[in-house]
Amino acid sequence: MAKRLLRIFGPLILAAILVVAVLVSPVTFGFKHVSASEERQAAVSLSPNVLKGKRIKQAALKSDYVPFFGSSEWSRIDPMHPSVLAQKYHRDYRPFLLGARGTQSLTNFFVMQNMQGELRNKKAVFVISPQWFVKDGTRKDAFAFYYSQLQTTEWLSHYRNDAIDRYAAKRLLQMPVAKSDHFLYAALQRVAAGKQLTDNERFYLKTKQNMLTQEDQFFSGINLPSQNLNKVNQQAKKLPTHYDYRQLDQLAGRIGKEQTGNNRFQISDSFYNQGLKQELKTGKLKDFQKNLSYTKSPEFGDFQLVLDQFARLNTNVMFIIPPVNAKWSAYTGLSQSMLRQFDRKIRYQLESQGFHNICDLSDKGNVPYFMTDTIHLGWRGWLAVDQKVDPFLSQPQKQPTYKINDKFYSEKWQQLDPAQLTQYEQETK
Amino acid sequence: MLSFEPYGNPTYFALLGVALLPLMIGLLYGKRSRLYETLISIFFLILTFGGPKWTQGIALIIYILYEVALTWGYAVYRKQKNSGPVFYLMVILAILPLTIVKVTPAVENGQASLIGFLGISYLTFRAVQTMMETRDGTLKDYNIMTFLQFMLFFPTISSGPIDRYRRFEQDYRTVPSREKYLGMIQKGVRYIFVGFLYKFLLAYYFGTILMPKLQIMAMHSRGGFMDLSWPVLGYMYAYSADLFFDFAGYSLFAVGTSYLMGIETPMNFKQPWRSPNIKDFWNRWHITLSFWFRDFIYMRLVFWFMKHRMFKSPRTTANVTYIINMLVMGFWHGVTWYYITYGLFHGVALVVNDAWLRYKKKHRESVPHNRFTQLFAIFLTANLVCFSFLIFSGFLNTLWFTK
Repeated sequence: MAKRLLRIFGPLILAAILVVAVLVSPVTFGFKHVSASEERQAAVSLSPNVLKGKRIKQAALKSDYVPFFGSSEWSRIDPMHPSVLAQKYHRDYRPFLLGARGTQSLTNFFVMQNMQGELRNKKAVFVISPQWFVKDGTRKDAFAFYYSQLQTTEWLSHYRNDAIDRYAAKRLLQMPVAKSDHFLYAALQRVAAGKQLTDNERFYLKTKQNMLTQEDQFFSGINLPSQNLNKVNQQAKKLPTHYDYRQLDQLAGRIGKEQTGNNRFQISDSFYNQGLKQELKTGKLKDFQKNLSYTKSPEFGDFQLVLDQFARLNTNVMFIIPPVNAKWSAYTGLSQSMLRQFDRKIRYQLESQGFHNICDLSDKGNVPYFMTDTIHLGWRGWLAVDQKVDPFLSQPQKQPTYKINDKFYSEKWQQLDPAQLTQYEQETK
Repeated sequence: MLSFEPYGNPTYFALLGVALLPLMIGLLYGKRSRLYETLISIFFLILTFGGPKWTQGIALIIYILYEVALTWGYAVYRKQKNSGPVFYLMVILAILPLTIVKVTPAVENGQASLIGFLGISYLTFRAVQTMMETRDGTLKDYNIMTFLQFMLFFPTISSGPIDRYRRFEQDYRTVPSREKYLGMIQKGVRYIFVGFLYKFLLAYYFGTILMPKLQIMAMHSRGGFMDLSWPVLGYMYAYSADLFFDFAGYSLFAVGTSYLMGIETPMNFKQPWRSPNIKDFWNRWHITLSFWFRDFIYMRLVFWFMKHRMFKSPRTTANVTYIINMLVMGFWHGVTWYYITYGLFHGVALVVNDAWLRYKKKHRESVPHNRFTQLFAIFLTANLVCFSFLIFSGFLNTLWFTK
């Protein structure tokens, strides 16, 4: 009987031992190498697996890639898109696009967790979407979609028990996806309560992190989407050989004009035809954003996580604040004064803590062919970004000095009416 | 509270392995502990129907009590009398909950019924079958405890295979010899591992990676003749592959687990893609379901029609019954146009198939029969089936009727 049982279960047990051994061992089996073409593809792929993983990001940022954090704007690839310009004009840097539809500050904070070494004393670009700062902040389902246990375990491995960690843990606990691992959930509860992790928890996190790192090494390169890289290559062909701002600005306007013929909002035809046209017919979109506000949101606290993390890593960051298509917002009733208020509040959070590299385009919503659709930069907008980003990344910059203030984590700040900014500043001095 | 899809993730299999170990050692030494089996059954039922899904758990308990009352009541009654109307009434009562669950979404804008739970169809099949065999007199010693074990046998509760009461009882009452049981373990382990390949590799590739891409492409290329395009064809094959590998994988888990518990639950799939005709396909695809329909709907209808001399020729009787049988199967999947069309399609296919086989028999000299025609028959059958699955998938509904 024993012999027969061994014949049945022997291979099974052996397989189990091998799998566990591979996942637990710190050996990399030569999978760590990332080829240049893989990097090129991953940098513009916007694939959730790249965002959630570690291996490819890390390898690319070690060479001449610079992280461009943001969200859905990255998928608007036209000839003036940062990735296209950098490739065509052989810049010293290449953008590594991080973020896609639905990634907000909290996701970006966790994305930073397994590339800390590649951010320390380096440069980065970060696009702040005003649309993140709605009443409820980040959407729970979108956060779940981009949630990475690998990033969470990495973050907890350099956990120091101060404001940034407690706030991040508190926010994570509010997300249903945090329950996807019961032990991790228990550890988060301790962190949020300001307690030390137990030895068992540390051991568990270490093992889990090791396993997930191995998984990432084996699988993150599989099935990398290539269509975005093709788009970049195609768009680059439309550009003149030599960089000349005035010529490019004219070209951007011309392409914009060509591609926005069928509607009165100067929204690209293809975007307009994808459902917007149908929805407009219902008439429900008229004035539907009348009462929308971006001035009070938990997102301000989440954004502080990002700033705090950049400051701790001494990363020099260029922030971009895009406008809203003015023709569109006039139709939907989105308040211009509210947008200005939002701009004041976010700029206060940035500047009062020493973040002075800001490319504030919030007043450019009226410029023709600046936006490709309702809220996303395109053609001339991308070119305006390039005017700031290229010199920032290509030339040496003075090291910034940051003064982080934990008051920006407070509920009071998140819900502060920007009209009371001056008063708030006095009170919290 | 932990909660699992049956066979959904590695943790479930790890728990299964730990729970089955004592039972397997027991069986190897010729002992079957009813108590332990009941305990782990309850444990896995709680894992499936507890936690956030507790409303389903309550629905399951009430449903089981209801079906026990019906089958037990009928078994007691059948010992004294045998009236047709009473039997029909009992069967109608037994399928009433399932009918409500199936009709509710159609009349309530897609909202699921409160009394539904994962696997209600399969339990209803088992209960009705028990009742029918009681009526036939083939099932004489109905026992409530065995019936409960049969209904709530956790490896097969959510999606079959659909076992038969008497077959189950026989396995359940005995302990296989050590030699036989070792063979069952060997088979069970193999089934589970083939299941891993099917469900977690192949079904994942076709269903999770390929299908959504093809779906988007198909939606983008609408506008042609009936909105059809090459991606729709691709979707048809990807969906069929996903359906097969997902369900066959699941069935292998269920059968494999049963084997480890010393119960020879019947297989559900037998290389369906090599069927030379549609009739043979139904002998190889979702076998326990199609045999259930054959034994308890098709055969009974044919018998009833013949007894009441409804149709002159036996051929008409068979054809009408095919259509009714497959339509019932279509309705059972759900009250939507595409499930019903799917049933009708297979009903008609069976009728045509019979006519062709008769024709072929008559003209044996003029109809060629060689390796090539056999391959062609397999190819044709597989494609017809894939086409029927495209109807079944409901994707045509999305393609044609969404904006």
